[in-house]
Amino acid sequence: MLGFNLKQLTGVGIFLFMIFIGVPFAIGVTGRWDFYFTLTSVALLAIASAGVWLTFYIGRINIGQGAFALIGAYVSAILVVKVGWSFWISLPAAGLFAAVVAILIGLPILRLRGVYFAMITLVLTQVVTLTALALPITNGARGISNIPLPSGISLFGIPILPDFVAMESTKLAFYYTACIIMLLTYAALYRLVNSRLGHLCRSMQQNEELASSIGVNISYIRIVIFAISSFFGGLGGAMFGSIAQSVYPSSFQVADSVNFMLNCFLGGLGYVFGPMLGTLVLYFGWDLLFEFGKYQMLIYSTILIIIIRFLPNGLLSIRFSKGGDK
Amino acid sequence: MEQILANGVYLGSQYAMIALGLTLIFALMNVLNFAHGQMYVIGGFVTYTFYGHWGVPFILALVMSCVTLAILGALIERYLFAPVIKGSAREESTMLLAAGIAFFLDAVILLVFGEKQRGVPKIVDGVFNWDFRLIMPYDRILICVLAILSIVAFIALMQYTKTGRALRALAQDRTAAQLMGVNVDRYSMIGFALGAMLAGLVGGLLVTITGVNLGMGGATSIKAFMMVMIGGAGVISGAIWGGIILGFMEAIGLALLYQYGDITYLVIFVSLMIFLAVRPQGLMGKPWG
Amino acid sequence: MQRRTLMKAALTAITMTALQATTALAENTVLKIGFVGVTSGPAAAWGISNQRSMEARASWINETGGYTIGGTTYDIEIVSFDDQKDPKRAIAGMEKMAQEGIHYVVGPNVDDGAAAVRPVAEANGIMYFPYAFPKSLYQAPASNAVLGMVANYQSGPAIYKYLMDEKGVKTVAFIAANESDPLSQRDGGVEAATALGMEVVSANVTYQVDTTDFTPVLTPVMRSRPDLLVLSGVSPANAPQLIRSARELGFQGVISTETAQDAGVLAEGAGDLANGFISVGGASTPELASPMMNEFVQRYTDMFGEYNDESNTKVYALEYILETLKADPSAITDVDAFQAIMDTFEAPNPYMNGDAKLRYVGMSSFGQKRQVSVPLVVNVYQDGEFKTLFVAEVD
Repeated sequence: MLGFNLKQLTGVGIFLFMIFIGVPFAIGVTGRWDFYFTLTSVALLAIASAGVWLTFYIGRINIGQGAFALIGAYVSAILVVKVGWSFWISLPAAGLFAAVVAILIGLPILRLRGVYFAMITLVLTQVVTLTALALPITNGARGISNIPLPSGISLFGIPILPDFVAMESTKLAFYYTACIIMLLTYAALYRLVNSRLGHLCRSMQQNEELASSIGVNISYIRIVIFAISSFFGGLGGAMFGSIAQSVYPSSFQVADSVNFMLNCFLGGLGYVFGPMLGTLVLYFGWDLLFEFGKYQMLIYSTILIIIIRFLPNGLLSIRFSKGGDK
Repeated sequence: MEQILANGVYLGSQYAMIALGLTLIFALMNVLNFAHGQMYVIGGFVTYTFYGHWGVPFILALVMSCVTLAILGALIERYLFAPVIKGSAREESTMLLAAGIAFFLDAVILLVFGEKQRGVPKIVDGVFNWDFRLIMPYDRILICVLAILSIVAFIALMQYTKTGRALRALAQDRTAAQLMGVNVDRYSMIGFALGAMLAGLVGGLLVTITGVNLGMGGATSIKAFMMVMIGGAGVISGAIWGGIILGFMEAIGLALLYQYGDITYLVIFVSLMIFLAVRPQGLMGKPWG
Repeated sequence: MQRRTLMKAALTAITMTALQATTALAENTVLKIGFVGVTSGPAAAWGISNQRSMEARASWINETGGYTIGGTTYDIEIVSFDDQKDPKRAIAGMEKMAQEGIHYVVGPNVDDGAAAVRPVAEANGIMYFPYAFPKSLYQAPASNAVLGMVANYQSGPAIYKYLMDEKGVKTVAFIAANESDPLSQRDGGVEAATALGMEVVSANVTYQVDTTDFTPVLTPVMRSRPDLLVLSGVSPANAPQLIRSARELGFQGVISTETAQDAGVLAEGAGDLANGFISVGGASTPELASPMMNEFVQRYTDMFGEYNDESNTKVYALEYILETLKADPSAITDVDAFQAIMDTFEAPNPYMNGDAKLRYVGMSSFGQKRQVSVPLVVNVYQDGEFKTLFVAEVD
C-alpha cells in the first residue's frame, strides 16, 4: 500500500485500535466519562494545529490559527442558525470559507517571513475577534447561542449520519466524529508531505530564493499551503461551536493562536504526527493536573519548561533522534 | 490637538521603553521573548512592594526592580535559553520556552503577589492644566521625562561603552563577533539581563501611574511585539520609533474615531497589517528571512 | 541549580495539596459543591474572590460540625476548576463536575463560558449559578442556570433613578471595555437610561481590555460633559485607573458602575479621587452586615490574608444551594426536585440585618424564577471604605 512498510502499518493499526476501541473501553472500565470531552477537544485542536504545522513546513511561524478557527465557528453557526443548513454541510463550508479568507489575506502577507509573519498573524487573530464584536451578522458582543445539535442526514432513506438530537449522550458521537475528522486530516497531511508538493515545501523551508530559482512557483505554493492550513482551522473551530452550542468573539483568541503554535513546537516540527502529540500533552496535561488546585499552573509550566529544556526539538525527537520520519 | 500630541508623546515614550528591552533580546539571540510582559509586571510588583508597601524611597525601589529583573534575566538566559538554543534544530523552538517561562512567571506572580490590582501612592500631586486645552498630571510628566532620560542613557551605553560595542557587534553578526574575540556567552547573558532590566525599570516607573496586576503581562508582550514590528525587528532605533508611532496611532485614533468606538482598534490593527504588507521589514529593519 | 529548586517547589506543592485533601476528610458524609470559573490569568480576581468565599464558608461549616440536611450531617467540600476564562475549558470543567457526581456548581464568571456549559449542565443534571447576564441563559427553554447576583439591567435603572431624583443628573455617558460582557452591559445600561428619560451624550467609546492608560480614551467622553459617567461592566483592575483619569481630566460629575468593586483596590489606585464613586455591593457595609457576615469576613481574612469586597456579592450562591437543599433533601441528587422547590423556597438571609429573605426571583426579567434574590445594595466609596447609599429589591 503506497510504500508503507509493515512496521508503519502495524503502528497505524494499533493507533486506530487505541482511539476507536481502546479509549472507549478504558473509559468504560474506569468510569472517567469526562475524558471524552477532553479527548474530543484534543482531537479538534489537533486538527487546527495540523494546519499550523503545515505553515511551519513552508518556513512560516503561524500565530493566526485562532482567527481561522473563529471564522469557521461563526460561519457554521450562522449557516445553521440563520440560514437553516444542516451542520454537516456547514462544516466543509466553514473550512472552505476560512480557506478563501486565507487566500485573500495570504496574497499580501505571505511575502513576510520570520517574526514579521508571526506578528502579522498574531494581529490577524485580534482583527478577527474585533470584527466579530463589531459586525451585526455575528450578533456582536452577544454572540450566537442556542445553536441546535447536528441533525441526521440520510440519502435515499438510508441514514448516513445519525441525528445527534435523538441521542441519549452526544459525548461518544462527538468523540467519534472528532476522531474521524482528525484521522482524515492527518492522512491528508501525511499524503501531502510525501507528495511532490511536500517535496517543494521542504525546499522552500530551506531556502525560498533557491527554490524559486530552480523554477518552483513559490507564491502559488505558499497560498495553497496557507489555504489548506486555514481550512483545517475552520473545521476545528466549527466543530467546537457545535459542541458548545454557542460562539462568542472570545471563543478563539490570541491565547488559542499561541497554543496551536506551541502544540507544534512541543510535538516536534519535524514530525507529521508531532502536533497531535503536542496537543494531547499540552491540553490533556492541564486537565490531569487539576488535582493540584492553585499550584496547577505552576506545575504545568514547570513541566513544560523542563520538557523544552531537555527536548528542544520536540517530544517525538526521543524516538526519532535521527529525524527519520518526515 | 495639544492634548493629542501630549498623549502621544507620553504613550510613545513608555511604549518605546517596553519595546527596547524586547528588541535588544531579539537582536542578540533571535529570541522573541513572550515573557517580556511578565518581567514588566514583576518589575511593577517589586516597586510596589518596596515603595508602596514598605515605604522605601521610590528611587531605591526602582533600583530594586532593575536588580531583581537583571538577575532573573541572567539566570533565565544562562540556564534555559542558552542550552535550548544550542540544542535545537530550528531556532524558533525558543518560542515554546519563552511561552513556558511566561506561564511560569504568571503562576509565580499569582502565588506571590495575589490577584488584585495594586497601586502606589502618587509620587507627585497636582495636575498641569493649560486652559483645558492641555491637561497632564505632574506625575505623568515626571514619568515621561524619566522614560526619555532612560532611553537616552541606554543609547549612550550602547554607543560609548565597551559592553555596548560588544553587544552591538553580537547583534550584527554573532560568528564574526566571536571570531573578533568577543565572549559570546558572557555578552549574551549580559544582553538578556539588560533587556529584562529595562522591562523591570519601565514596570517600576509605570506602577506609579497605572498600577499593576497580573493580567498585564501577556497584553504588554503583544503590544511590545507590535512596536518592534513597526520599527523593524532587532533594531534599537526601530523599537523607539515603533513605540512612538504606536503611541501616536493610539492617541490620534482614539481622538478621531471615538464615535465609532468598537472599531478604533480594528482600524489600528488593520492599518498595521497593511503597513507590514507594504513594508515587510518594518520601518528600518533588515530585509531578511 | 534552578531546576532543583523548581522540583523542590513542585514536590512541596504536591505534599501540601495531599495534606489539604486529608484534613478535609472528617467522619461526616461529604457533600461536594463545584466551582467552575477563572482563577488564573488576567481575570483571576473574579474567580478567586468567588472560590475563596466558597472555601471560607465551607471550612467554617466543617469546623462547626457540618451542615445538616434531612437528618444527615454533611461536610462541605468545594471542588474548583480553573477554566482560564476559556469557554472550551469551561465545558471540560463542567464535565469534570459531572464526573465527580456534583449537581450544584457556582460559575462560570463570564457570558461565553456560561453559554458554553449549558448543554453539559442540562444533559448531566447540574444546576449552575453563573455570574453572567444574558437573559437567554435563564429564560425557558433553558432550565438549569440560576443568576447568582443582581444583573446590571436590574441595578442600573435603580441607580440612575436615584441619581436623577437625588442629584439632579440629566445627562449620562457610558464607557465599556471592548469585550462581550461589558458591551452587553453597556447596551443594557443605555436602554435603561433612555427609558428613564436621561439624555445619553456618549455611549460609543470603548477601550481595549489591556488598556493601562485611560486618558486618551476618556478625553473625548469628557468633552461631552455628562453629569454621570457609567463604567459599564468595569473590572476591579480598571476601575481605579478610569476614575483617576476622569478626575484628572477635570470631570466633576458622578461616576458609577453596576459591578462589585474592592475598596482596597480603589484606595490604592485612585486614593481620594475615588470618593463619591458608586458601585454595587453585597451586605458588608456596617449598617447592613449581620454578625454572621462580619464573622465571614473575619474568617475569610484569616484564611487568605486579605479580604476582597467583591466577595460580598459572591457569598450568597453557596448559601442558597445549601438552604434550598435543606428545604428538600431529595434535591441533593435530584435536580428536578430542586427546580420544583425553587418556586416556593424562602429562608431568612443570615448575612443581613433586618428581615431580608433568601428566595428565588426573576419572574419579570426571565419569566421563571431563575435568579437568587440578593439585596441590591448600592454603595458609595468614601475615604477607603464603602458606605450604603440605598438598598433596593429585585423581583
